[in-house]
Amino acid sequence: MRRSAAARAALAVVVLIPVVGLAAIVGLSTGAGALSLRDALHGREPDATVLFRLRVPRVLLAAEVGAALSVAGVALQALLRNPLADPFVFGLSGGAAIGIAVVTVASGSAIGAAAASAASFAGVLPTQLAAVAGAMAAALLVFTLGRARGALDPARALLTGIVFNSFASALVLSVEAVLRPDQMQAVSLWLAGTLGYEAMPLLAGAGLALVVPVLVLLALAGRLNLLSLGDEGAAALGVDVGRTRLFAFFAASAAVGIAVAFTGLVGFVGLIVPHAVRLLTGPDHRVVLPASALGGAAFLVLADALARVLFRGLGAEPPVGAVTAIVGAPLFVMLMRSRQ
Amino acid sequence: MTLLEAREPRYRHHAGGPEAVAGASIAVARGEVVGVIGPNAAGKSTLARLCSGLLTPQQGSVSLQGEPIANLSRRERARRVAFLPQHPPHDLSFTAREVALMGRAPHLGLWALEGPRDFERAHAGLREMDALDLADRPVSQLSGGERQRVFLARAFAQEAAVLVLDEPTAALDLAHQVLLVSALRRRAREGGGALLVLHDLALAGAACDRLVLLDRGRVVAEGPPAVVLRPAVLSPVYGTEVEVVANPATGQPLVAPRIPR
Repeated sequence: MRRSAAARAALAVVVLIPVVGLAAIVGLSTGAGALSLRDALHGREPDATVLFRLRVPRVLLAAEVGAALSVAGVALQALLRNPLADPFVFGLSGGAAIGIAVVTVASGSAIGAAAASAASFAGVLPTQLAAVAGAMAAALLVFTLGRARGALDPARALLTGIVFNSFASALVLSVEAVLRPDQMQAVSLWLAGTLGYEAMPLLAGAGLALVVPVLVLLALAGRLNLLSLGDEGAAALGVDVGRTRLFAFFAASAAVGIAVAFTGLVGFVGLIVPHAVRLLTGPDHRVVLPASALGGAAFLVLADALARVLFRGLGAEPPVGAVTAIVGAPLFVMLMRSRQ
Repeated sequence: MTLLEAREPRYRHHAGGPEAVAGASIAVARGEVVGVIGPNAAGKSTLARLCSGLLTPQQGSVSLQGEPIANLSRRERARRVAFLPQHPPHDLSFTAREVALMGRAPHLGLWALEGPRDFERAHAGLREMDALDLADRPVSQLSGGERQRVFLARAFAQEAAVLVLDEPTAALDLAHQVLLVSALRRRAREGGGALLVLHDLALAGAACDRLVLLDRGRVVAEGPPAVVLRPAVLSPVYGTEVEVVANPATGQPLVAPRIPR
């Protein structure tokens, strides 16, 4: 790798943009019914409505969520200095699950119903709001408890996150005992990670909101490289280790929060995409971050398309969170073994 | 001009614990290679960290080129002093070239993108430590000595006036020890300086202009190698009998422990 980081990052982006484009075409042309892209583009109904009201938003959502989770995964693996870290390790999944469970139970009560209608009036769904609030609260808790001697201790933070997630899933299991079957199904579907159909302005807003954490992480990329030298090695090269961790942590959490709000817990993307990208590009975060954003977008769009194709005959589709693991796990093992 | 000066620094790792460094003053002038020697737990590594700004003394002060280290930004500090710890990480998937380029970090802008000059400095550092042929290999695949040379190249690429190196020769074979010392002496002649923490007293005598002998966080002897490397000075501090003879070729003091058999 004699080329500069800028040149390698540019190369990765140039290679991956057509891949994302290809994935989008695949995503747009697969679905429950047959669709003629040509008819849709000429405005003929019902194809135009299917394309622009259903498939375009769906593909956009998958791309945004895939990119957000992958970028967050890269950042968390770097700042915890642990290859097993994923976006949900900071207790985010557990916190979100508690939020969902609490809202589902509360919506049965009068106060809960009133709060829910107030939230819906404001243009957001109470479940989504509760999930994001729960995830953020958990992240903050783990970030606080994972500190030792005034600095984040990667091993301690990781352990705290795992312990908290177990605690949370036990709590959710207990809550589920009091839920009606239909409520329970809604909760578990959300926990598995499901892509739905969102309004375009909301998607545009989410896309814009994602730009901020991605830019923050890109600006931190050089420092994330230095963190691999250890806290002391990074500090000796002029890095403010504590502040770098704090900024990277909040940027990653914001990206995960946006993803969680729309789709629930889509697992595996934030773990596998960064690793797959690193196998191809090497460990430099200035290259890995932009490449993971694009790779993650393409991966989730394709996984979602596959979910629709595979189960078309059954008239149902599995949650995309399940498909990412079913497809991703063997792919990843193959890639890892071919690179040894 | 003094490149680095620590005035009576004191440091405890834990409140209520013993003082690791108890007022050991030390200075490195332009053109000087200074060796810090002493038994285990004498405070050598802690003093090295205080001198490079990784630890802040609880009392006393450290200054770089006359400027108190507390007044310098982290990046400015890293442009004035380069620090190499005793055990650099060994599981890095970065290549040797990428690690050497990391030494350029204090000189880079917001997006941390290197230019041709940074590549030039990184390659010069690798060449100086005989590690240019390792440039494209991941550091995790290198031997201990090769890895150490790559990290020394990183310290050189940093272009700091003073180098603080903790046990830089421990993993190096004889030829590369000589290479390192020659590189440090050349830098000193060009106006730089170095503070070396060393266990090998013979090497310390040959490489350094001045030695500082530490014991329990205090300076117990200081001066040219011929003054510090004497049995009467070393034996009580190290708690074992040592012999010192003159190297017949160079006249430099050679230190050897007396080992009963």
